[in-house]
Order: sequence, then C-alpha cells, then structure tokens
Amino acid sequence: MTIKLNPDQSRVLNWRIKSGGVAGVIGPAGCGKTTTGSFLAVKMICEGYAKNVLLVAFTNSAANEFARELSMVLGPEGSKFLCVRSGYAPGADPRLPIPFSNNIELVRAKKIVICTTQSLKRLSASIRFENMIIDEAGIERLEHLLSPFALGINQLGIHLIKENISYEANNIIELASKCGIVATVVGDPKQSRPIGLADYDLSAMEWVLKCARYDTLYTTHRLPDKLAMLVDEFADYGGLNSSPEIASRRFEAIHDIDENFIEILNPEVITWVNLNGNEMMAGPSSWYNEVEAKACVRICCELKRVAPSKSISIVTRYTEQRRTILKYLQHLDIESRVLTTTGALGTQADIVIFSLVRNNPERLVGALGSLQDLNVAISRSKEKLIIVGSFEMMLNGVTSSYNLNPRHKQNFPQKLARLVDKKYGMVVEAPKILYK
Amino acid sequence: MDVEEGTENINLNTDIIDVRKTYDYLRKCQTHLVQSSEIATACVCQNLFKLDYPFGATRSDKDYLVANTVHDIMSICMGGPIFENWHRGLENYEQITKKIVKESSEIVNTIIKDTSEIAHRENRFVEDTFELQVNDIYNGLIMGMTRRLMKKHERPSRVLTEVTITNIKDHHEGRIDAILEYSNGYGLLDWKSYDLSNTISGREKWQLIANTLLANFRYRRSEDDWTGHNFSCIVHNSGVYFPKAETTRKEVERIKTNRKFAHMILCGERVRVQRPKFCPVCDKGLEGSKECLFYQRDARLAYEGKLPAQYEKMTKQFFAKRYAILKERAETHLHKHVVFSLISKHGEEEALRRLEKIGILCRGYSFDFDIDEKVVFSRADDNIPLEPRRIVRIIGIEEGKSILSCINEQASVMEVRNNKITLSFRSKIAVRRAKRQLFHLPIILLRDELNLTRSMLRPIHQFHKLAADVLIPAELLV
Ligand code: SF4
Repeated sequence: MTIKLNPDQSRVLNWRIKSGGVAGVIGPAGCGKTTTGSFLAVKMICEGYAKNVLLVAFTNSAANEFARELSMVLGPEGSKFLCVRSGYAPGADPRLPIPFSNNIELVRAKKIVICTTQSLKRLSASIRFENMIIDEAGIERLEHLLSPFALGINQLGIHLIKENISYEANNIIELASKCGIVATVVGDPKQSRPIGLADYDLSAMEWVLKCARYDTLYTTHRLPDKLAMLVDEFADYGGLNSSPEIASRRFEAIHDIDENFIEILNPEVITWVNLNGNEMMAGPSSWYNEVEAKACVRICCELKRVAPSKSISIVTRYTEQRRTILKYLQHLDIESRVLTTTGALGTQADIVIFSLVRNNPERLVGALGSLQDLNVAISRSKEKLIIVGSFEMMLNGVTSSYNLNPRHKQNFPQKLARLVDKKYGMVVEAPKILYK
Repeated sequence: MDVEEGTENINLNTDIIDVRKTYDYLRKCQTHLVQSSEIATACVCQNLFKLDYPFGATRSDKDYLVANTVHDIMSICMGGPIFENWHRGLENYEQITKKIVKESSEIVNTIIKDTSEIAHRENRFVEDTFELQVNDIYNGLIMGMTRRLMKKHERPSRVLTEVTITNIKDHHEGRIDAILEYSNGYGLLDWKSYDLSNTISGREKWQLIANTLLANFRYRRSEDDWTGHNFSCIVHNSGVYFPKAETTRKEVERIKTNRKFAHMILCGERVRVQRPKFCPVCDKGLEGSKECLFYQRDARLAYEGKLPAQYEKMTKQFFAKRYAILKERAETHLHKHVVFSLISKHGEEEALRRLEKIGILCRGYSFDFDIDEKVVFSRADDNIPLEPRRIVRIIGIEEGKSILSCINEQASVMEVRNNKITLSFRSKIAVRRAKRQLFHLPIILLRDELNLTRSMLRPIHQFHKLAADVLIPAELLV
C-alpha cells in the first residue's frame, strides 16, 4: 500500500522518528492526527526504530479509530499479525481485523498495542514500550498522561543517569524524557477544555507544549476554505488551510428547497440563523432552549429531505439541550447524531447544526463562551455549518471569569459573531416557521 | 391561563435556583464519604490508609476472581436456598448443608459458568482449579452457617444482600454483604472467602463493626441507636466469628476516631498520624511497608531540609494533583449530599419534588423486563431527564427509611427511547439480585457518579518515586 501524507505530516513523521523524549504534535480539526499517529507507529516498527509501540486514546471510539487507521495502512493480514487491541473487551470494534487480548504473553508478542487510558492498568507493568503515541483528545489531565508513561520507563536508563550524576529535571515531562520515555502526544489545546487556572491544572496537552518541543499540522482535510479560515482566525492557529482537493466543497441540495429554508440552506459555507428562543435552566448546571431545539430539528428534517445522502450532526454545549433535541427527533422518527461539544471531539459530518442555547437579557454566555467548546462546534463540518441562536446575544455576550483565562484573554463568542458576520459567513433572520 | 402560567414559571425557577444554589454551595464544601473498608484500613494503621489516599501507593489491580465469584453466589443463594432451609437449633447440620448445596447447584454453576466466560473473553487468567476452589469455599461458608449461625439464630423474616448505605451526616458509606431482618431488629453478615483464624490484623472485625453503625443508621436513623441490633458476624471458610458485645462497644470509638482521621486526610487537612506500636501488616513483611518507608523517608528529608529544590518543587506539584484528584472523589458524592441537604431543609417530599423538577432524580418507573445485564423500565410519560452513559443509582423506596439507606444498585444508562429507559447493571447477578429485592419497590433513579480516582493516583505515586530516584542524591537514599 502506498502511503500518502501531506508535507506537514511527513515533516512531523521524519522529526519524530529520529528524536526521542516526549514531544507534542498539534493537530487542528481534520488535520489527520490519528493518521499521523498510526503512520508513525507503523514506520517505527517497519524501519526498526522501536521494538514495540503503544497507541493510547482516552475513549474506546478513539482507540478504535487508531485500529481502523492501522488496518488500512497495514491491510487486514498485516494488522492482524502486528497489532493487538487491549483493554475493555466490549469497547473494541469487532469488525476490525485486529485481534483483542489482555493476555500478557500475546500482547508482548505483538509490535503495536492499542489501548485506552483507563484500561492500561490491565496491561502488566512488566511490559515496557519503547515508543508511544498518545491521542490527547479527552485525556484532559496530566495524570492521564502519566499512566501510559509509566509503561515506558527505562529502569536501566535511570541507573545510568545516577552514575553520570546529572540530577536534573525541571518538570514532570522532562523527568519522563530523562527516564527513557519516548512519547508523541497528538492533540489540540484549542479543542480540549482547560481544567483550571492553576499550573497543576493545565491540560495534558498544555503540559507537553509548555515543557517539550512540538510541531503543528496546518493542512485540514475536512474544513472547506472559508471554514478553515474562520477556524484559523477564531482560534489563532497561525496558518490553518484547506487541502486543495476539498477547499471548494459546497453544499448542494438534490431536491427543491422549501421557500422557508432557502435562505438558510444557501451555498454559503457558514450561515448563522438568528433565532430568539428563551433559555431554560435544567440540572445542576445545564441549560436548554425549546425554540432552538425545535428549529434545529426542523432544519434537520428539511436537510434530510433535500439532501438525503448527507450526514448531519447537531452539536450543542449542553447535555440538556442534546436531550431535548433527541426527544423531538424521536417524536418525528428522524435519525440524526446529536452531540455535546465534548462528545463531538474527533467526529465529523457533512453538515453541522450548532445550537447555542444561551439567550438572556443579562447576556451571560456562561460555559458556552469557552474557546475550546466553540472551536469544536464550528470545526466539525465538511460542507456547511449552520449556527442556530441569538446573534445579538453572542455579539454582546459577557463571558464569565472561567473564560477569561489569563492565557488567552478574549471574548470568544463576540469574536465568532464578528468573524461570521463580517468575513466568512452570513447572518440570516430565522423564518417564522422556526418559531412555531 | 396566562397569569397562572406565569406564576407557575416563577415557582419553577425559584425551585430550580434553590437546587442549583445548593449544588454551588456544596461544590465548595468537602463532600467526602469514607467507606467502611477504608475505616478498617485506618484502624489497622493510619499510615496504611495514607498509602491509599492521598499517596495512591497501593496496587488495586489484583484479580480477586474466586473471592468475587463466591460473593456473587452468596448474594443470590442467601435469599434463596439458604433462607428457605433455615432451621434454628439444627442438630443434623451436615444434612442441611448438603441439601442447601444441592439446591443451590443451579445458581452456583450458572455463576461459575458466566464468570469464567467473561474472564476468558477478557483474556484474564483463570486457574484450572477455579471451579473447585469456588465450590470448596461456598461449601465451607454454608457449613459455617448451618453449624454456627442457624444454631443460634431464628430464620429471619427477610434477607437483603449487597446493601449500600450512605450516612451523610457522619461522612460514612459502606456495602453490607447481607442483612437479616427480624421482627425485633436486624443481624449483619459479612463473608470472607479465607480462613479468618489465620489473619491477625483485625481488619475484618473493624469493617464489620463500621458496617453495623451503618445498619443502625438504616433501621434507627442514628448510628448510636443499638436497640435493633441483634448480632453481627463474619462467616468464613472454617466457621463464624461473632465479636463480643463488649468488644463491639469498645471498638466503636476506635472506628469513629479513624473515620474522622480518614475524612480529614481526604479533605486535605494536616493530621498527626498514629503509628501502631506493632505493625500488624508491615512487620509481617506484607505489601505496603516499602512504600510506607519511602514516604517516611521523604518526610524526614523534607523536615531536615535536605531535599533538592527541583525535587521539592516537583513533589509539590504531585501533591497539588493528588488533592485535585481527591476533590474529584468528593464530587462523586455530590448528588447524595444535595439530596441530604434539601431533605434537611424542606422535608423529604418537597425535596424530592424539587429534585425531580430539576432532573436530578426521577420517579414513577416500573420494571418491564431484563436481558442479561440490561434492564428496561418504563414510565407513563416520555420526559426522562437522563441520557446514555449517565450513571444512576436505582433506589427502592422502603417505608420509614432514609432514602440514602434504602436498597439500591448502580447502573449506567444505555438508551432512552420515548417512555422507556434501558439500564446496564454491573452484572447479570446484580440484575438477579435486584429483581428479588429491589424492583417491586417504588423506584427512584438518582444521578450518580463513578469513582475512578484510585487508578489516577497510582501513576502519580510511580512518578513521585521516579523523581526521587533521579533527583535525590544516592547517599541520601540509603
Ligand atoms: S510500615 Fe507500619 S506504619 Fe507503615 S503502613 Fe505498615 S504498619 Fe503502618
């Protein structure tokens, strides 16, 4: 099988294959973090740079993504021979050719081991991995990073350090590198939520970026040109661009669009449907917005009718809104993915409808205002992004101190509203039918 | 009418705001609960408890396959063949033992088969003698019960197994293997799959007494009210151990002191640790001592000011992380604290009404059917405020008992469709147990969380040791 990588990916691969220690690779949406990670693992093994490689992800679905990618690179036979999926049996995708096992001898005999963070404890501490690739999505915190690291410690190396009397390591990541751990952490600090403001609360990726070397992948194979530009400017990636094959991808309906929806389902990549529904409290910290929920379902319905082959995801920051939308979808017997921003990490769809939910006279946007949540929501779609919610609310939104992280003091809802309105998309008034 | 709708909305909002404020307030407080097993560890040695929390130095990944299987079998057989064949003052206990063993063979074999199937599927190590061992221990426990327990005590009016009881006021929680209910009170059983006469630490006894305090709370709403307590005992492989009444009374103080100790440690407070005169665990060279000595040396070097600056900085970060993880452990008990706090404030009915409105709990479910470890419930309307992957506690409301001490099981939500909810239990056995003792009661689903903090502390301990290895000069480590 011929391996096709873009120049960014090749650069990262060539760098990581020869350099040891812990390092980071920043991969914005659709830049092929999983692909790069899997290729790296295969190259390490095939070219003899490592005897074994551990691939770690936080969720089972992300671990399955690694497995899927590997079986594509190596083919069914190759992946069956070289790889093993370990951890929690029901979480592994049985359709993939890679066998599942927690049997230590079997795991030891394989070259590439795929496992989730929580299940690493099932792997014996007696196995040492010479190299590891860690998908940071969902791995929010340093301790999630430490459990795979623990399997890469080179005890022999520590004795050598002692003999050379060089007692130096300024931080935990440096210490890990000193102890023989070779790990590439792939992720995106602008997509994973920060934990808090204190130093020890940095997310796993932020720890790596703060303490180790890193590189960035800049070519997205998911976002069409305007969306890539919006995301780039919104999250300050400093040069994210669409790969040429997909840059001009646009939404096209195959049936006539109902006149109520003509403005919304235009060929623009980004459309903001300005809709004024009331937010409602639910649960200890969640919110929902009935009008928005119904509007999203209506738009989804129309999309299913005019472009039945397209995949659609509805994304929202709040679990309660997700539940409300699902309820209406079930009433109408429509199948569609509804995800919270946390659940949406790592997913993609042709068309994404983003429900904002928050709308109040005080203009408090709360947790919705975080860079990470907004960034995830706007960077899932391959053709079209439809934002549903009050435009004025976001334009004048007041972000809570939570979002005023000293590391990036910005009003993100406002930034998003301005960028969509002035540069990359269009704002349309919601048709009356969406209020019914 | 418009006006009425408006008023309703205002009430709705004030109710919700009240619950949210309680959450906000409690989030800033310490909502830790100490488990009976942890209190028992602290009773053995306070340092040993610290090795678990905050250090994260003990391994928790041992496979207790045999012990767990025996537990599962007992939890089902107790309410079945054992209960049905209970005769007081038996002379011919051997015959009854045989009868019980025979009548429970279907249960035993199914559980053994299921367990080995799952273990094989997950590629866990299963000894060839697994089935033999389980049968042996089970027979031993039954023999102990018929010979000692049935001799002394009447057949209870009801048997409950694997009952989790939470006493928020005293920061205490525990899971009792079995409770025997009598018209005049209750008895407690705890089973151990090993021979108790070979153990020396007294841990089992402390756990039993700690659990007895919880049973007092369940039946009398106060842990110090012993009026309903008939007996507590440990059924083990070669008999039954009944702590004497004086022993129990004497030990209660010790339990409470150590519960307080454990709670303070979890809350991150500085507490002076009492080292036992005799090291019952570590003087025997069992696991724990090496790690304990490591932290004792660490503390000594810090006190003497001999630790290198880099190492000190790094360990400070490790401790900050540890306490952040402990805070998370506390948060797994947040919902229960909110329930307790609202009930204290508004009374049970009103508290439940408010919690239901905000979607923290929901009522009105009835059991539809079960397949393996999945159970389907339904209710009249389709407004189910839960979603897949959420963890819930299924509580069967028993009259006169505080909600958090009623019979319950934990499960995760698999699917919510219209007016039906599918829950996934821990195992088929949990479903079987729940069908016997829980599902016929009025059901409440309360939001809950999983406690995964132990596995997160462990790598921090590993790296703490690694930092010591790399950064502390060898001569100081001697
Ligand atoms: S070595 Fe002694 S002080 Fe330390 S945990 Fe063991 S029993 Fe306790």
